[in-house]
Amino acid sequence: MHRYETALLGTLKEGVWTEASDATARSGLGRESFLWAIENLYASGYIEVRKVDHETVELTQEGKEYAASEMPEESLLRRARNGRLGISEMRNPREQIGLQWARKKNLISIDRGAIELTKEGRSALEKGTEEGNALRLIAKSPDNYFELAKSDSQAIVNLVKRGLVAIRKKSEVAAITITEKGSRAFAEGAGSENKIDALSKEIIANESWKEKGFRPYDVSLKIEPEPVAMMHPVRKTINELERIYLSLGFTQVSGPIIEPAFWVFDSLFVPQDHPAREMQDTFYLSNPEKISISEEESVQRIKKAHLGSWGGSWAPEYAEQALLRTHTTNISVRQMNTTIRRLFAEGEKPELPVKLFSVGRVFRNENIDYRHLTDFYQHEGIVIGRDLTFANLFSILISIYDQLGMEIRFKPAYFPFVEPGVEFYAYSDKTKEWIEMGGAGMIRREITGMPRKNISVLAWGPGLERIMLLKDPSVKSIAELYNSDIGWLRRRKRV
Amino acid sequence: MPVISINKKYLVSLFPESATQEEIMSHIEKFGCSIEAETADTINVEVSPNRPDLFGAVGLARSLKNFMHKSRKYSYSIKDGNTYLSIEVGRRVLKIRPFISAFVAMGTSFSDDSLADLINFTEKLCETYGRSRKKMAVGLHDLDKISGELTYDAYPDDKFVRLGGEGEEFFSEVIKNTEKGSKYSDIIENAEGLFPALKDSKGTISLIPILNSERTRTTTKTRNIFVDITGIDGETIDNAADLISTVLMDAGAEVRPVEISRGSKKKVTPQLRHRELFIQSRMAENEIGVRVGPQNIVSLGNKMGYEAAVVGNRIRFTVPPYRMDVFNEQDIIEDIAIGYGYDYIQPVPIPSSTAGQLDPRMVFFREASEAMLGLGFTESMSTFLSGEESNFADFRIGDYKETFGSDFDYVKLKNAKSQSITMMRTWIMPSLMKAIGASRHEAMPQRLFELDMVFWTERGKPVERNHLAAIYVDSKSNFNSIKAAAEAFLEWADLEMEVERADHSGFIEGRCAAIVWKGKKMGILGEMHPETLRNFGVEEPASAFEIDIDGVFEASRRPV
Repeated sequence: MHRYETALLGTLKEGVWTEASDATARSGLGRESFLWAIENLYASGYIEVRKVDHETVELTQEGKEYAASEMPEESLLRRARNGRLGISEMRNPREQIGLQWARKKNLISIDRGAIELTKEGRSALEKGTEEGNALRLIAKSPDNYFELAKSDSQAIVNLVKRGLVAIRKKSEVAAITITEKGSRAFAEGAGSENKIDALSKEIIANESWKEKGFRPYDVSLKIEPEPVAMMHPVRKTINELERIYLSLGFTQVSGPIIEPAFWVFDSLFVPQDHPAREMQDTFYLSNPEKISISEEESVQRIKKAHLGSWGGSWAPEYAEQALLRTHTTNISVRQMNTTIRRLFAEGEKPELPVKLFSVGRVFRNENIDYRHLTDFYQHEGIVIGRDLTFANLFSILISIYDQLGMEIRFKPAYFPFVEPGVEFYAYSDKTKEWIEMGGAGMIRREITGMPRKNISVLAWGPGLERIMLLKDPSVKSIAELYNSDIGWLRRRKRV
Repeated sequence: MPVISINKKYLVSLFPESATQEEIMSHIEKFGCSIEAETADTINVEVSPNRPDLFGAVGLARSLKNFMHKSRKYSYSIKDGNTYLSIEVGRRVLKIRPFISAFVAMGTSFSDDSLADLINFTEKLCETYGRSRKKMAVGLHDLDKISGELTYDAYPDDKFVRLGGEGEEFFSEVIKNTEKGSKYSDIIENAEGLFPALKDSKGTISLIPILNSERTRTTTKTRNIFVDITGIDGETIDNAADLISTVLMDAGAEVRPVEISRGSKKKVTPQLRHRELFIQSRMAENEIGVRVGPQNIVSLGNKMGYEAAVVGNRIRFTVPPYRMDVFNEQDIIEDIAIGYGYDYIQPVPIPSSTAGQLDPRMVFFREASEAMLGLGFTESMSTFLSGEESNFADFRIGDYKETFGSDFDYVKLKNAKSQSITMMRTWIMPSLMKAIGASRHEAMPQRLFELDMVFWTERGKPVERNHLAAIYVDSKSNFNSIKAAAEAFLEWADLEMEVERADHSGFIEGRCAAIVWKGKKMGILGEMHPETLRNFGVEEPASAFEIDIDGVFEASRRPV
């Protein structure tokens, strides 16, 4: 018998109804422990219980959270106070609720997607919203609810409607009495308070546990689990890819995120007037605005290739525009240039084939919302070697995706810097369709600068997030991967 | 990727009767296009952007018929080479939009479907290959409504009845008042008050590259068509003239050339150029990694629309005039691979084996992350993009130059779509604070770390650096608790760092310290200022550290 149970039974007499408040006071138990003991004792048939019905006011879980911090619309008002909050940034459900109520209550107006506070909104920002104030009052003391109800407050009606305050008919324990079975059990169990509660250094040394024994725990009690400190799922996937590339004999390389357009577009044979370079897809920078390419030895070769194939003009100014890379192929092309230059220069020559890989972040200029991201990851590989074939490329891609547990299929595809080009697809058990995983190909000889030599370069650069979408059943959308929601991180299961 | 909408009935009508709709659909995918959507009447086909010849039903059917061995058509020629019309090019247009090609197509008979397809095809061509009409634009006219010879020049503001217009309007009004006018006006905005236009003896037939005249509208009754192509790149418009004329020839018209004269210089278009490229069959086989023999390569070339023949030890491929995407042998080799079928290419492993290696820096970062996990911190990953408010102001940093020195500046985005992102983060702390602020309903304590990149510029040069930051949020969190974590980490890294008193406006005065190694400041640690906490909506005390992990890596490398 738990000591709470003995404490309570000790206050009772057979055949006498003891008022609940008296029993609580005499047992010295807190309210929660008292109720817990009653439940156990009643279940064991040790006591009889008389109940009465009450109307009680309670804050719901959501209500408690808001009362402890603020209402979603108050949080919105605070964030929008200096007028720089866009409606498109209201992403999660709570922000949506805030937006909805702030509009309903005429606290904000929306001008071309930007949130502005109204006169009422500014006043609420200062004094709190009606609902917010009422909720905080009720949180202090539930009796305040009945006070507010007397004054016909619309706010409390709304609080109930919004599910923040719950009115419950609750039956409460009014009086208890001990049964015969209870009396017997009490007599047997008395003295168990002397049993050992917490083991200590002294008890281990003096061995007093041998005579006292241990008080048993109720092993079925619900305990709040401690969260596991976890590696981010994206990092896990990156680590897995590193392991796979390593197993296939690839060496890891990296390269800059902030690049001149030259390494992201021009050296990949993307014409200077190509729509992919336009502002709507790519983040261009105003600091630094330009990055010089005058020292790059491949500039003349790339310029010649552009003029020869795309006609028109090729302006170094466009190639020097600073931007955030939109893919990691900049790393591959930089590495390819270095390797090929060393092959034909004096000194130690790299041994072919050279196999390199990288995993890195890339950027896309998107409106951020729950479906769109600006940051993505790409894994990227190249093989520089003699007599390489398109069939070799297929083989490597199959080896990589096979280790990820995916079967892939190939389809013709166009990318300006490869010929032949290919896109590959993996089958999704979730959506029952073939999902595009990425592109690959043999780099054009105009770019490798190896028109007559039998040295060729295989390259690929698929996304990483789609791998997770296909492999991890708990990943519902790519956008949730980078929100760093602690709850989401904590509640992830092993995959 | 361009997606074109094709009328199924019309597409099927372009094939001999032996081809069924199902058969055609299944070959579209094998050919490298994909069917995005399908309704009872139409299919939306995604086409490679480098194949503008496939932007319409006629061109798609042409290539598919070769691919499915339903026909063999490789070359195009003009029966009657006498020029039908002439265009005189004036001098004023040279600075604005200098190039024009043209031809006429006789004996057309359009249905609603085929006319719609031709118009959609030329529109798509202008949008993609023509870069939204800037580089190249196409006009279609009823030839029988044109009188006399044509002139192309830039003119002062003038009146004409535009396509769909009811009375005469000035060029300037058409530009201002029509949808096409406002969409394309920027192409000719530097024309110094002049407007490029094509005129016949009765007046303007086209305000270029905006709208044609109502007078020369093409309808299903049109029997003879005049096509003009204008632009800023001579090669592009000549390619387009070749392409469009082959489409009209395949649609059953007879094409006649037009003479373009600029002073004494004359040219005749379309040119219908058939280029020849020579490839050794071994070279193609070696590149793809299959063995098929020269005869099969010839037939694969045929399948992909090339006239091909073995000439000595090489194969001659004749590139049809509509294939402007073919630059050299590499492009033909890809077509041979497509003709062979990617599904049939047997993967072949690279024979030689190599030993791979991870980047030692990345290995160190992984170990550092494991140490942080061991200390009970969960890993977070956030966007690298940020805003001035959360990166500086929310940490009560006013003048960042004062804080970080005059050589320092942050990386600024020029054109972000979202108002809240304007820069790249200069430290990780804002990302962690945001995550914590959004998770205040989660159980305490909360421990979070992030090891990733931060950015800034030093005298205008970009700097990319890796940091490690960690935060501990709990009612019991204070300076000492984070100092304990930071020191545990540095001890793990086997570096003797010193902790010195420092000031940072984001932290509480007197509860903030710098992490120093050999006199160099490597990081910061401290108890978050209550105002910082409020700015991020964090309700419990928090303490945090952030350290230059690249610096730790470099410092911890010992000579082997």
